[in-house]
Amino acid sequence: MVASHPKAGAEDNRGAAAMLQSKSFVKKTRQGRLLKIVREHYLRDDIACGAVYCSICDKSTACLSDTTSPILIVDTNVVLQQIDLLENLAMSNVVILSVVLDEAKNKNLSVYNRLRTICSNPTRHFFVFANEHHKDTYIKGMVGESPNDRNDRAIRVASQWYQRHLGGSTKILLLTNDAENRKKAREEGIIAETVQAYVQALGKPELLDLVARSQVENVFKHDVEDLRPSKRKVVYAEHKAMSEITSGLRQKIYHQGKFRVNRYNPFEAYVGSESVGDEIVIKGKTDMNRAFDGDVVAVELLPQECWQDGSGKIVEDDDEEEEEVVGLVPASADDAPKNQALEGMSEKSISIGIARPTGRVIGIIKRNWRPYCGSLEPMPLPAGGGGTVHALFVAADRRIPKIRIQTRQLSNLLDKRIIVAVDSWEQTSRYPSGHYVRSIGEIGDRATESEVLLIENDINTRPFSEQVLACLPPLPWSMSAEDLRNPYRRDLRHVRVFSVDPIGCKDIDDALNCTLLPNGNFQVAVHIADVTNFVHPNTPLDEEASQRGTSVYLVERRIDMLPKPLTEDICSLRADVERLAFSVLWEMSPDADILSVEFTKSIIKSCAALSYVEAQARMDDSRLSDPLTLDLRNMNKLAKIMRRRRIESGALTLASPEVKFEIDTETHDPLDVGMYQVREANQMIEEFMLAANVSVAGHILKHFPMCSLLRRHPIPTPKMFEPLLRTAAAVGIHLDISSSKALADSLDEAQGDDPYFNKLIRILATRCMTQAVYFCSGELSPPEFHHYGLAAPLYTHFTSPIRRYADVIVHRLLAASLGLNKLPDLLRDKSLLTSISDNLNYRHRNAQMAGRASVELHTLIFFRNRPTEAEARIVKIRSNGLIVFVPKYGIEGPVYLTKKGTKEETELVSDIDGKWIIDEEHQTLLSQDGKRRYKVLERLSIYIQVVEPQPNRPKLELTLMKAC
Amino acid sequence: MEYISPEGLRLDGRRPMEMRQLHAELGVIAKADGSATFEMGNTKVVAAVYGPREVQNRSQQLQEQALVRCEYSMATFSTGERRKRGKGDRRSTEISLVIRQTMESAILTHLLPRSQIDIFVQVLQADGGTRSACINAAALALADAGIPMRDLVASCAAGFLNNTPLLDLNYTEDSGGGPDVTVGVFPKLDKISLLQMDSKLPIDLFEKVLELATEGAKATAEYMRERLSENTRQLVSARGLLRF
Amino acid sequence: MGGVRTFPFHMSEEEQRRFAKAQERLDRLGGALPVVNVGETIQADEEAAFLRGHGTQLVDGKLVATVCGIVERVNKLISVRPLRARYNPGTGDVVVGRITEVVAPKRWKVDVNSKQDAQLMLSAVNLPGGLQRRRTADDELNMRNFFEERDLISAEVQAVHQDGSIHLHTRSLKYGKLEKGQLTQVAPYLVKRLNHHFYQLKQFGLEIIFACNGYIWISGPSEIPDKKGASSELLVNVSNVNEMHQCTGNKESTVPTEKREKICRCANALRVLNALGLLIYPESIIDTYEASLMWGTDIKDMLSGEFHVKVLEREVSKRSKSV
Repeated sequence: MVASHPKAGAEDNRGAAAMLQSKSFVKKTRQGRLLKIVREHYLRDDIACGAVYCSICDKSTACLSDTTSPILIVDTNVVLQQIDLLENLAMSNVVILSVVLDEAKNKNLSVYNRLRTICSNPTRHFFVFANEHHKDTYIKGMVGESPNDRNDRAIRVASQWYQRHLGGSTKILLLTNDAENRKKAREEGIIAETVQAYVQALGKPELLDLVARSQVENVFKHDVEDLRPSKRKVVYAEHKAMSEITSGLRQKIYHQGKFRVNRYNPFEAYVGSESVGDEIVIKGKTDMNRAFDGDVVAVELLPQECWQDGSGKIVEDDDEEEEEVVGLVPASADDAPKNQALEGMSEKSISIGIARPTGRVIGIIKRNWRPYCGSLEPMPLPAGGGGTVHALFVAADRRIPKIRIQTRQLSNLLDKRIIVAVDSWEQTSRYPSGHYVRSIGEIGDRATESEVLLIENDINTRPFSEQVLACLPPLPWSMSAEDLRNPYRRDLRHVRVFSVDPIGCKDIDDALNCTLLPNGNFQVAVHIADVTNFVHPNTPLDEEASQRGTSVYLVERRIDMLPKPLTEDICSLRADVERLAFSVLWEMSPDADILSVEFTKSIIKSCAALSYVEAQARMDDSRLSDPLTLDLRNMNKLAKIMRRRRIESGALTLASPEVKFEIDTETHDPLDVGMYQVREANQMIEEFMLAANVSVAGHILKHFPMCSLLRRHPIPTPKMFEPLLRTAAAVGIHLDISSSKALADSLDEAQGDDPYFNKLIRILATRCMTQAVYFCSGELSPPEFHHYGLAAPLYTHFTSPIRRYADVIVHRLLAASLGLNKLPDLLRDKSLLTSISDNLNYRHRNAQMAGRASVELHTLIFFRNRPTEAEARIVKIRSNGLIVFVPKYGIEGPVYLTKKGTKEETELVSDIDGKWIIDEEHQTLLSQDGKRRYKVLERLSIYIQVVEPQPNRPKLELTLMKAC
Repeated sequence: MEYISPEGLRLDGRRPMEMRQLHAELGVIAKADGSATFEMGNTKVVAAVYGPREVQNRSQQLQEQALVRCEYSMATFSTGERRKRGKGDRRSTEISLVIRQTMESAILTHLLPRSQIDIFVQVLQADGGTRSACINAAALALADAGIPMRDLVASCAAGFLNNTPLLDLNYTEDSGGGPDVTVGVFPKLDKISLLQMDSKLPIDLFEKVLELATEGAKATAEYMRERLSENTRQLVSARGLLRF
Repeated sequence: MGGVRTFPFHMSEEEQRRFAKAQERLDRLGGALPVVNVGETIQADEEAAFLRGHGTQLVDGKLVATVCGIVERVNKLISVRPLRARYNPGTGDVVVGRITEVVAPKRWKVDVNSKQDAQLMLSAVNLPGGLQRRRTADDELNMRNFFEERDLISAEVQAVHQDGSIHLHTRSLKYGKLEKGQLTQVAPYLVKRLNHHFYQLKQFGLEIIFACNGYIWISGPSEIPDKKGASSELLVNVSNVNEMHQCTGNKESTVPTEKREKICRCANALRVLNALGLLIYPESIIDTYEASLMWGTDIKDMLSGEFHVKVLEREVSKRSKSV
């Protein structure tokens, strides 16, 4: 280690043009005060040019090796707009200047991150040249020069330097779309080109599609239909200037917030605003004024008389209408459609809409564009194909508007799922402009559709990199002598350990044993795969797992968090092999009281890997009395007691609307779909897993009160329970929501005339729940640690480290609390842990959404050529139809009683003309003549089929057959 | 926030093990017995030493050794925003105490019984590392005043950000929330006179950062020695001592 | 700019350059000196026994300097003399000091620019009415009539004790209260040790006391006779102090302007020498004084950068001539 300070020589030059410069500028603080910032800026003479063939510079970081193709220097706008092009493998031998990198970081962090990723990959031959600190390429801004001009000049100076330095060996080419910059560069003797020209010269036409249109060059913004420039009109209001917005924000005439589009109605959006205290409703394309879901926008409130109740009619002329989709039953409030948007469409509705603050977007503060998956809107092929055409891209995410792109491969792309990135949205253009990035595959093809839903949910499906795989121990793995000798590892191979999992499960992360002790008590233990023995902090394996956060379960495949050798072999607690585990051992009385708890690392040898079906069968078969079956029965007894105790203290048992698919092994198409069967064996395992999680939670919190990773379930607000209460009240049931126990008790009492009734109420209750989330214990106060659904004061995830990264963290915390390992730095810092838990929550959510989307996809495929009749239950009423739930398939969707848009009756129920009357109090829909009535929770017979109202957009449709 | 770019350059262009530019001047306050300014990058500090002289407060007089007093203050214009800092605020008191203890361990106080040495340090411009600059300035001022010392005290600070030990943090890096280790050493005796740290560090990382800070302090000591030598020579030649 | 020290006068660019050049030449003329800094090892023969003097300490058997200064070797005694330090009193030194405190009943505390204030015992002063007299209670009470706080006196160092305390005495007629003159404070280490400390600069009609502690006193010629003989007036027995004052006071009550100017010019010359760090002794003062007259510098301009630079250059040429 050598510490050095600038030599005396540099000091002598003090005052003259020195190696130490000073940057000073004036900044405005949040309060509005002016602050003068003075910073040192050191110039260096040891910055290399990055060329392997350079004889002067240091070559340790050099990566530009190709002398035949020119070295490209790109300017900032090229980086910001053409990042997709730069990511393409055809672009190589590029120098990124630090001035360009800094500007990109300030303007668009995601582009910056992508650029950094490319640069860190040595095979791409991208070199980062620190021109701002190189003594020959640093320039001071001249008087009267704007920062942008100064940066452009810096880019030119650096290009010149490269020319002088390497010009003899290779050609240096500056890529910039700015005409002014190009002109000046050519005057100074630098070869400069536009990106377009360069790509064209490369002779790879497919690259041209990737080239984004810059705003200046795209002057013709018009509808697809009308190409005449004279027809250009201003469609949207101008966005206000940033300065006006900031002053308006301060004066509270404008409000800032995140723009969230209603998933079920893309022409309605909400902006959460602290200054208003409520969400601001934005309705209609004009008021939305080119904002995208996720942007940070500035909103101006409309005068109060215009305030809507969030359910008013849409006055826009549009070929888009709000639609309801047939989809999976919501599992929580997050999945359910926003209730207010869908109630009471008819003027005769009794419900009075509460006017909520409504406004319109007057400026975008921060754009949140990302690449979107979807497909092109069908259009006729232009005559004499091969030319560039405009096409409209429809994103898979309904919240995204259609995007206009240019392409040469229209015929090729029409039936494909593609990825498109957005470039800009002009005032005069009805749609935003974007460019094509790449294709995924054919529409409707299961693999393609699966990939689409994975991309849309930000799930990493790339195979594990070399570096990650290098972290695995060599196969075949078996326990080493060292593991045996480790004094901290208890040898439990003599214990009769077994595991119970779904059929065909290969990644077994938990095993149990239940041993009768001489004193009449039981030693019950839960052994969890010792993943942290193989996944060490700060290794590529750990970082990849941390990023992924969880394994994603799609219907036909599983995307692993850890590589297969670990999940299915080394860590998996398979039968008849010795494995390393992390164990929670309890001594329990026959009444399932926990007398003592112990945590230890261990070695186990599972004697049987049973499936739920097998385990249940064993327990039920009274002829069997082998030791394993006896253990199972003992466990079951204990589990039942524990479960009862939990319910008494208020744990909720809600019905899971999960469905299970039976997949054809050859075509991988779904053969059958049905509700997931929950057996006693499932509940038994669940009970002990819960107990283990609770025990571990208590232990790590004691040792690390400030930085434990726990899981909580926030109590739902009374508002969230409203729809449930209303529905229940309509059928005469009163539900007490004062506490989880009260709710559980009222749910138990809610019995109806048919046996399914109770289950239905529970399913409705499920969608009122909040999501359980991970959090860092230092961030909240102990009362907030509560898990509502389990009625547990403390909870965490410990039992599935193979498929959840949160469990890996908890393993490390537990090991540190036992003194087995040092606590990694990442876990010491409260704020870091919070960001980790935020990421885990995000990944967990995405995995759930992807799982659901996969199930929906397979449901669609299942019903594709198999229209079916089924029994359904009404769960909600609307002015023009009903929302029904089909228990057998676990799907939910609308059944229209009036034909969409026409208010006519559908064919199946033809005789009555006119509208329907809603009775809110009794949650009933009455026909005009009073002859027919549909009440919530009643039975219906419906017909399920797949229709394609628009080509390449198949969807499920439920239609009424007859009332039961 | 990225404090070191992947190319290994910090925000101001230094590499992780490089210090900022140093500059020292002696005899800046004519009336004081000894004085010095010390600059580490944009951090500028002036120190003045008065003494040894008669103890002003008789009750505090120490029979066997000199009484060392120290006062640290920051000029109102030293930070980005003009701030009125009373001398009694906690940070000033703490740093005054730290400097006093460090200097007291360096001065051979038993050679100056019943006298008082006052050290006044003021920060003119603060850009991180003020503590170190103050100690360096005070050491130079004491040497300028001809007060007998065990050894020069040199000080430097180091931190840990983005998984790298960094030497001589400036204000932006200091605000980065990482640990900040300040060390004061006797370069010749190779002993540590002051060791302070805020935030937390695991022990193995701490050793690395401490080693880096010590190296920085020794490099500073080198520079201080150079300047002192030059100063001494100047004084000597002015006096034309060779002839006498 | 290349220099380490800051100088307490303002110089323009031009002057700075000349100054730097002159300094450089001075440096070159100086030659190599055994200069040492704090913490540096002093060259000493390990085998030969040496005595450790001031400014050194023993570390691991090696001799290490504790101050910045010049190494002095006198036989076996090795010490480091610091270049800048407070006044280090030695017995027999003539000092000028200011009374800080009257510590009844027996002494005065005097500030002599040293590590501690010096002490002047009542028994050490010349009492009126004879050299030897018992100090009465009266005298003790009337100490203030003799010397008050803030009076300037000249005295001689009688003794320096182990604990560092300094004892003065004014047992001679040449010592006593100083009036009608100007005190200039210079660095004590610039005052050359001389045989005599009371000088009369007859050419200017001034008297200077070259006190070793750096407090230089300049005044017009006094009526007080030199040490060779006591004025007859003083031998008169006076019973009280007040009468003595009337006798020993100067006949003139105010100092005329030219005298003041001369005193000022002399004082400024001292200041210039102090600022430049040049040695102070009668010849150098006279030289500077005459140079200022020669160059026609006004008294107030003597403190300008220009004058300083010229003095330095003059010094340089002087030294180079004598080399």
